[in-house]
Amino acid sequence: MNRRTFCLLLSALCLLPSSCHREHRPITVGSKNFTESVILGELLAQKLEAAGCPVERRLNMGGTFVCDTAIRAGSIDAYVEYSGTALTAILKQPSTSDRARVDALVRDAYAKRGLVWSPPLGFNNTFAMIVRRADAQRHGMRTISDLAKVAATYRPGFGYEFTERPDGWPGLQRAYGLQFAHAPRTMDLGLTYKALAAGEVDLIAGNSTDGLIDSLGLIVLDDDKHFFPPYDAVVVQRTGLESRCSSALASLRNTIDDATMRRLNYEVDGKKRAVADVVRELKLR
Amino acid sequence: MSELLQLTGQHLLIVAIAVTIAIAAGVPLGTFAHRRRRLGGIALRITDVVQTIPSLAMFGFLIPLPLIGGIGARPAIVALVLYSLLPIVRSTLVGLDRVDANVREAATAMGMTDRQLLWGVELPLATPAIVAGIRIASVTAIGVATIAAAVGGGGLGTLIFRGVSMVDTRLILSGALPAALLAIAADLVLTQVERYFARRRGES
Repeated sequence: MNRRTFCLLLSALCLLPSSCHREHRPITVGSKNFTESVILGELLAQKLEAAGCPVERRLNMGGTFVCDTAIRAGSIDAYVEYSGTALTAILKQPSTSDRARVDALVRDAYAKRGLVWSPPLGFNNTFAMIVRRADAQRHGMRTISDLAKVAATYRPGFGYEFTERPDGWPGLQRAYGLQFAHAPRTMDLGLTYKALAAGEVDLIAGNSTDGLIDSLGLIVLDDDKHFFPPYDAVVVQRTGLESRCSSALASLRNTIDDATMRRLNYEVDGKKRAVADVVRELKLR
Repeated sequence: MSELLQLTGQHLLIVAIAVTIAIAAGVPLGTFAHRRRRLGGIALRITDVVQTIPSLAMFGFLIPLPLIGGIGARPAIVALVLYSLLPIVRSTLVGLDRVDANVREAATAMGMTDRQLLWGVELPLATPAIVAGIRIASVTAIGVATIAAAVGGGGLGTLIFRGVSMVDTRLILSGALPAALLAIAADLVLTQVERYFARRRGES
């Protein structure tokens, strides 16, 4: 090695720490533990990477409360939350179906907690009370109120979060005056669809954008008493992210509608495709 | 408090049923593996593979199956039996393998039939090892049984799952601590049983 290359190498080495220093720490993107949230987490990550922001993925972490605790503690910097969930489950405010009011309330409350509540992504993923299509036809059920007809025989099966949340089973039961003969079975959220399709339970609480509803021959009962608040998907981020990264996330506003989200979920749940591929092919409107 | 007792009862019942079935199937399977090396080897490989299946995936398979599947305690017991087989089958096999060849020869020389050899000599000598396997299976099963809550099977896992979904550490601990105490208690009791059999073998 001659002297010139040695000097060059040495100066390159000297430059390394300073260049590392200029580089910001990666942005940690989180998600909840169901398909749609993982897809949205991956979407945030790819959008950030396209804007030149290094990303660390912490997808599939747990339920709502796990993600909220993580972002407040700074273990993650961004994830996708739903407005109604933030209002009732996180902020413990009374539920309301007034969309603009929910958005304003949550935005203010989040600002006080040091978090940015971005503009909505463009779709509403409400809780969906789901039954088998054949059952619905046999009993003439179209709405949640119609569940009263089958309360004597139906066996509900819910995930742990829905069973505990105020805007979940306790509130729904009160709003509709539902009394089932069988107490709801609590089980892993991901297994409820399988249990419903296999006839082991008769009523589950899923999400209206779930991709499996159509493909498994299930239908969503209409929330005729408007119990559920709007659940607009929104990017939550910590304040103080680098501005180009922050605006990359904000640029996702109004880019995904209900049908698009349902299709993305079906690509992953129904067609068993990889989340990263599905997101990469997504043409945002 | 009454809920905790009820869940603990469910938990113990699930474990007791699962381990009993696992013993009833595992000891004969281990004996078989001792006698028929080739076929037994395949059976052992299967119990190895079963051990690596994640519990949620196992439940995914089990839910649509009639008789052994569905939701509730039944699929949880089936999964626990499958997870408990490995230690019991292995320890039975090891216990039988360790029987001194001289003892076996002496018994055959005394005119014992194959069956008498197994019941009168080999199995009694292998008992401490088998009990050790049962102890490991039971202690593990008490911990693993918390997954019953994922298929609506109840047990102490209910508190853990509820706590995790609500980020309530106290709730998680209220399920995890009793489960840990049960596991320690089972370990202590079964260690005594193991010693008792080992002593008895020494005397005879």
